[in-house]
Amino acid sequence: MSNPVTPSALQGIRILELAGPYTRYAGKLFADMGADVVLIEPPAGCPSRREGPYVAGLPGLERSLSFAYYNTSKRGITLNLDCDAGRAIFLELASNVDLVLEGEKAGTMAQRGLGYGRLQELRSSLVLTSITPFGQTGPYSRFECEDLVGMAMGGFMYLSGYPDTEPVCAYGGQAYLAAGMYAAVASMLALTSAELSGEGDHVDVSMQECVVMAMETAVQYFDLEKTVRKRFGANQRFAGSGVFECKDGYVYMMAAGIGANKFWSYSLQWLVNEKVPGVERLQGDRWQQIEFVQSDEAKRIFAEIFAPWAKQKTKAELYHEGQKNHVPLAPVNTPRDIFLSKQLEHRGYFVDVEHPETDLPLRMPGAPYRLSRTPWRVQSRAPRLGEHNAAVYRETGRDGKELQQLYSAGAI
Amino acid sequence: MARLPLSGIRVTDFTWIGAGSYTTKILADYGADVVKIESANRLDALRMSAPYKDKVKGVNRSGYFADRNTSKRSVTLNMKDGRAVELVKKLVAQSDIVANNFTPDVMSRFGLGYEDVCRIRPDIIYLAMSMQGSSGPESRYLGYGASMAALTGLQHLIGLPGREPIGTGTNYPDHIPNPCHAAFAVLAALRHRRRTGEGQYLDIAQTEPTVALLGPTFLDLTVNGREQQAVGNDHPWAAPHGAYPCRGEDRWIAICVMNDAQWAGLVGVLGNPGWAGAGTWLPADRRHAQRHKLNEELARETAKWSAEELMRALQAKGVPAGLVQNAEDIVSRDPQLAHRAHWITLEHPEMGKTIYNASPFRSLRMPAGAGKPAPLLGQHTEEVCEQLLGMTKEQVAELKKEGVLA
Repeated sequence: MSNPVTPSALQGIRILELAGPYTRYAGKLFADMGADVVLIEPPAGCPSRREGPYVAGLPGLERSLSFAYYNTSKRGITLNLDCDAGRAIFLELASNVDLVLEGEKAGTMAQRGLGYGRLQELRSSLVLTSITPFGQTGPYSRFECEDLVGMAMGGFMYLSGYPDTEPVCAYGGQAYLAAGMYAAVASMLALTSAELSGEGDHVDVSMQECVVMAMETAVQYFDLEKTVRKRFGANQRFAGSGVFECKDGYVYMMAAGIGANKFWSYSLQWLVNEKVPGVERLQGDRWQQIEFVQSDEAKRIFAEIFAPWAKQKTKAELYHEGQKNHVPLAPVNTPRDIFLSKQLEHRGYFVDVEHPETDLPLRMPGAPYRLSRTPWRVQSRAPRLGEHNAAVYRETGRDGKELQQLYSAGAI
Repeated sequence: MARLPLSGIRVTDFTWIGAGSYTTKILADYGADVVKIESANRLDALRMSAPYKDKVKGVNRSGYFADRNTSKRSVTLNMKDGRAVELVKKLVAQSDIVANNFTPDVMSRFGLGYEDVCRIRPDIIYLAMSMQGSSGPESRYLGYGASMAALTGLQHLIGLPGREPIGTGTNYPDHIPNPCHAAFAVLAALRHRRRTGEGQYLDIAQTEPTVALLGPTFLDLTVNGREQQAVGNDHPWAAPHGAYPCRGEDRWIAICVMNDAQWAGLVGVLGNPGWAGAGTWLPADRRHAQRHKLNEELARETAKWSAEELMRALQAKGVPAGLVQNAEDIVSRDPQLAHRAHWITLEHPEMGKTIYNASPFRSLRMPAGAGKPAPLLGQHTEEVCEQLLGMTKEQVAELKKEGVLA
């Protein structure tokens, strides 16, 4: 899969990643850009291997599609960090890398004798990035956490849900992903300094704080206006902004865009051109006033006019016709709609990656960014459990006999 | 504090509104000199977006704008005037990065497309963040973060079964997925340039990072033919797993019971209520199969508790639980965020002291976040014209009068 002609932006960066939900997306971002990421799993395999969906719905260590996705381009080894022999090997490996990504509970690495102080002694330019639910210290630093708890404590979940129900969590493990994305950015900033100055760093990422970054204006509404933003569900946020049902699903309309702009006039013109019944009720200066478009009256009027008309059209019709008229309207796509998107097809977005348990390659989302000289690419499929033990441990100078001893002792 | 990682890097920044501004904010907070090109004739729409300091509207009063534009300099230029374009070209010649999040073509119309800029600055890193990428049948389509959430499937996948898809209630792709992916790509491109001297073109479609976050969902479709649906707060196999009401108005607690030991912890904290009695909800798959009934029973129990007390009691027994915090909790009451000093108070020339997010990470050598508040519209026009563009005060005054620097 790799093309030797084009360089990778991160080639030459060596990384150890302790497998887990906090580190996996950060590791993937580095690996798909060309860094040498060695994924360290406990001998029984990491928890991601026990996370669905699975190939054909059947669980198995080598059948998790989550694992297959989050671990592309990485090499994989098994190593038991809870025994002396395993820790000694970890220190040897760490003395040779640029970045260690870990998502163990706060304090665990230090208790194992693998904290930043020890790693820095071995290699002063090393960056250690620790990702935890709440940070390395503080009153909540030892709290148990899951994605849902992170979304709740980070204030983001309160903004989503129907006014008449409980708050509803975002889909797909977004708290873990937010932590992973910010960990990648923070690590890259620290590596930039390390490459320029030779000095490493310990980066302490809090998943809760990462989630807080998604609160949009809620914090500022509280700080500046002393109001607490609430969830509005499927109601319009402003008149003309929200979810509307159509013939084959839903669309998301933002008739007036955000802030000061010209979109309301474009939206209105479109509805006039389409001779939407009652459109004259949307005319007049009051529709430019934020106080009015926030009112229940304005939302009700907009819905009375737009909703019955939209219901006769398909997602695709509204999307393409709306956009032709410069109206920021989008279909509420299902995964299948996205997979069939002409735009993504044109971009060659989905990529095929082989998998040991399937005859056909796995088709998965590809480049999240296009770099003209150093393109993103999957360097290799996700590793089988311990697939690169021999290669990686031989790099430390161990022979087959030593590896057999370590294997028997449960260290690798 | 040591040298910031991006000190010495300059950005000519045409980004506005959401994701683009958030991306260059990260660069600015970590040392880059980000010069935001603005115009009073074509305002960054966020400058006119609520909330405003004291609810008083004004181009320098929006909290929405301020939090996304820390540590930047603002220059006003009327890009319809050729003289303004010439000034920008002088700035580009001294820049490492040119950033925009317009639809494709806008920059070319200014004479600042990638090839144009390369002629001025051959090693430029050119960041283009349109909604759907620089080419393709929908590349000229318009939208905001919420439109992207709809296009990428996130909107469809969030909600309760049988009800409307609701998404996150925010323009989520603007706030984390796009800025983080874009900043990471820029930092990678900067590394490549340090090693080779080569710049490059970065094409980021603002839909594609968010789709990349849904990898397993797409694999379930492409490999198994199964289309995932919104499931509310349910977990694929664990229960109880959700948000449960507590005492007070709109107070909720998130509880995730991932195994039988945590279940025993939960039941113990609740005082072994009759409905939870011996073995009724064991083993775990029984809890999951009857999770709707279980959720109802649990909700009746949690409603008797203060959310804070229940969280502490459950955490003491090792049960993952947390408040569903609102903005007031986050800003005024959360002791962990206070311990981390997450809220930074900065003095803004017009808004006075207001709070800003720190970065969500701490480190031994990097600052926690923004050093400077958002700029006033055009606050640094004179400064940049004189320092970087070689103009005299008189020349600046002249161009101001003629509307070039507006």
